[in-house]
Amino acid sequence: MDWASGKLPLAGMRVIDWSLYWAGPYLSMTLHDLGAEVIKIESPGNWDPMRTVIDVNRYAGDKARPMTPQERSNVNQHYNEWNRGKLGLGVDLTDERGRQIVLDLAAQADVFVENHRPGAKAKLGIDYDDVAAVKPDIIYASISGFGQTEPERNAMALGAPVELASGLFSLNGYLHDETPAKTGFSYGDPVGALAALSAILLALRGRNKSGAGRYLDVAMRDALSFGIGAAFTDWSANGDVRSRRGNRHPVYAPQGVYRCAGDDEWVAISVRDNADWQALGAALGNPAWHGHPAFADAASRRLRHDQLDAQIESWTSQRSARDAESALQQAGVPAGAVLDFQQLGEDPQLAARGAFLEVEHPVFGKEVRASSQWARGEQPQQIDLPAPCFGQHNHELLSRLLGMDGDAIDLLERDGVVANEINAAAD
Amino acid sequence: MQELANLRVIELGRTAAAAFTGRFCADAGAEVVLVEPPDGHPLRHEGPFCGEEGIETSAVHLHVNAGKRSLTLDLPSQAGALRSLVEAADIFVTDFPTAHLAELGLASDDLRAAAPALVITQITPFGDTGPCRTYAGTNLTCLALGGQLKITGDPAREPLSNFGAQAEYQAGLSAFAGTVANVLLRDATGDGAYLDLSIQDVVATNLEHRGPALNLGLVANRAGLSVSATYGVYPCADGWVYLTAFAPALWDRLKSVVQLPELDEERFSTQAGRLANNDELQAILTGWTLGKTSDELRAFAQRGEPLTVTETPQRLLASEQWRGRGVAHEVDHPQAERIAVLGSPWLEEGADSPSPAPQLGEANGELLSKGRA
Repeated sequence: MDWASGKLPLAGMRVIDWSLYWAGPYLSMTLHDLGAEVIKIESPGNWDPMRTVIDVNRYAGDKARPMTPQERSNVNQHYNEWNRGKLGLGVDLTDERGRQIVLDLAAQADVFVENHRPGAKAKLGIDYDDVAAVKPDIIYASISGFGQTEPERNAMALGAPVELASGLFSLNGYLHDETPAKTGFSYGDPVGALAALSAILLALRGRNKSGAGRYLDVAMRDALSFGIGAAFTDWSANGDVRSRRGNRHPVYAPQGVYRCAGDDEWVAISVRDNADWQALGAALGNPAWHGHPAFADAASRRLRHDQLDAQIESWTSQRSARDAESALQQAGVPAGAVLDFQQLGEDPQLAARGAFLEVEHPVFGKEVRASSQWARGEQPQQIDLPAPCFGQHNHELLSRLLGMDGDAIDLLERDGVVANEINAAAD
Repeated sequence: MQELANLRVIELGRTAAAAFTGRFCADAGAEVVLVEPPDGHPLRHEGPFCGEEGIETSAVHLHVNAGKRSLTLDLPSQAGALRSLVEAADIFVTDFPTAHLAELGLASDDLRAAAPALVITQITPFGDTGPCRTYAGTNLTCLALGGQLKITGDPAREPLSNFGAQAEYQAGLSAFAGTVANVLLRDATGDGAYLDLSIQDVVATNLEHRGPALNLGLVANRAGLSVSATYGVYPCADGWVYLTAFAPALWDRLKSVVQLPELDEERFSTQAGRLANNDELQAILTGWTLGKTSDELRAFAQRGEPLTVTETPQRLLASEQWRGRGVAHEVDHPQAERIAVLGSPWLEEGADSPSPAPQLGEANGELLSKGRA
């Protein structure tokens, strides 16, 4: 893939993104990264809640400032993170003329992405059948918590709660703890998005061969469960509920997250085999305990893991996480400082890989955005567009794709069918 | 979806990252040849085991290697045979570091020169460029350096890895998408490609809240079980439930389910008020959730109310939803006997079950015979 020359697998394709929050928008952003033009559809009375539901001023500290509802809706850094590269269309889907605009655009699209509830799609008349009627070879992808099938098709779950329903939450937790644990903030979203992306790319290959489109029903839960599929296989054979294993590994020993000097500073260390174990000893200055035959192999190290953890932590707690990481890596031991978000932004490896790039947003100004995971090394990506302001590309899209003239668009705007501001009363 | 049928994939890996990518390829219809050392892929040695402990019965092997073929090669002495196989294949998936691949004659530049249509996917902890490209890494250290560890667990304790090999799973999923993208490009142009995927990078760029953090200075730490009273985990009578009520419409629905007059108090009438009175609200809602069983709460969830009940692997395998969707397959395996193997998340209803994970070296005879290798 080559972003500079535009040699990208989805170049020339068009995607309608009628999705909200995180999984759907993230998915359609990756379709843009692979070359597609992505049109984000929002309604003035029912926009992507990510624009407003989390008040960015809550986090902004001394950068907090009064904002109009319109300004607020265009600077949200959650929304802007997962919608960069898209063109924004603000259109009232409850108006038949608005619905028709979406269907007319879909008739010129290759992929349609949505994550609304079954009832909402049917009520607005923008279901798979509606879109396939105007574009029979459309790839229409629905992302949801549990899938579009009974009995759970109406159940709702965003990316965080869906982890509880996947089995993952029940298996997470500190060593031998009774209480389960939740991953980060909203782990179901990126996993569900990448699974749906895979399905769409496969379906496009199928369409290239057969000419047929298809409906894709991807459940975030199913994607999360697949990642821990071994636990399902284990249960089916053994019927045991396993004790929680915290940061330990079934084979590597020792492995853990160890306290370092400073407040809430930690380093993760894995000893994969005896070679790593010898290297760990060298990095720590070959302390007497390390040479004890009781630690000669992984099985015996596992038996005395607590004791080893205390010895390792007595070394890590004397130095910073980065110093510990560096000393261990120089010796060849897998080690990594536990980075917070700010440290991610400053990490030399991620920076050298071009993981975070800058783009100019018309309202917010300079923004740092993650670039595509597939654009590293030889062919770096340039971030071409920030996220759209609400309705930012109405005129361009309606004239370029639907051939409307200025008067026709003005009429739609006057009637509120097309809008470039959210209906703040609904905020 | 058998959209990769007639493509051959050579998988050379040691971790779940390449193994997941290979598994997705197999589910999509490709012939996936798992190249293993004579004593088996490292995941064959990882417990728990299904039945007797042994080289064929590791649960993670049975899951991630389902649908593949197995070829054992003694490397580096059989590197020539491997190179021939790779050059004749359509896709090469590996999580070996570049230095190791070069020793085997499998450096990406050499392969691309010899096999210009080959799609190469390399998944490593840090990628193949940058100052840390030769550093060692594992699932845990990639979660640390990718930022996910910092925000998982109890703020009063050490950061916590989630279950499984989730950094490697995210990377395996991302690598599969990138691989199919490169196959689409190859279909159109005839050209192969090299994807250099970094596991750290996948974890870091998949993280939510990174946008506000890097642009507004948001400082995020481990939040434990709860983001706030209106978005978090609560204990119920026999398990745990997640309440999702941070938006006005969701709050109104939750109130109609909970039916406690306290929730109508003025201080809880806006989301700002609910956040300002978070602890009191949490106490009231905890009183309600503790009085409900998972089954009672699940009934609310199924009709679309804003809550989500904890499920375990055993319950999901038996669930009507999964039976209807065909998520889990019953697979007969010579040593592990009848086991459940999950299908890829996009497999359609009525899809064929994956064939069981291969016996070690089952394809040696065919693949190493003259004319194939």
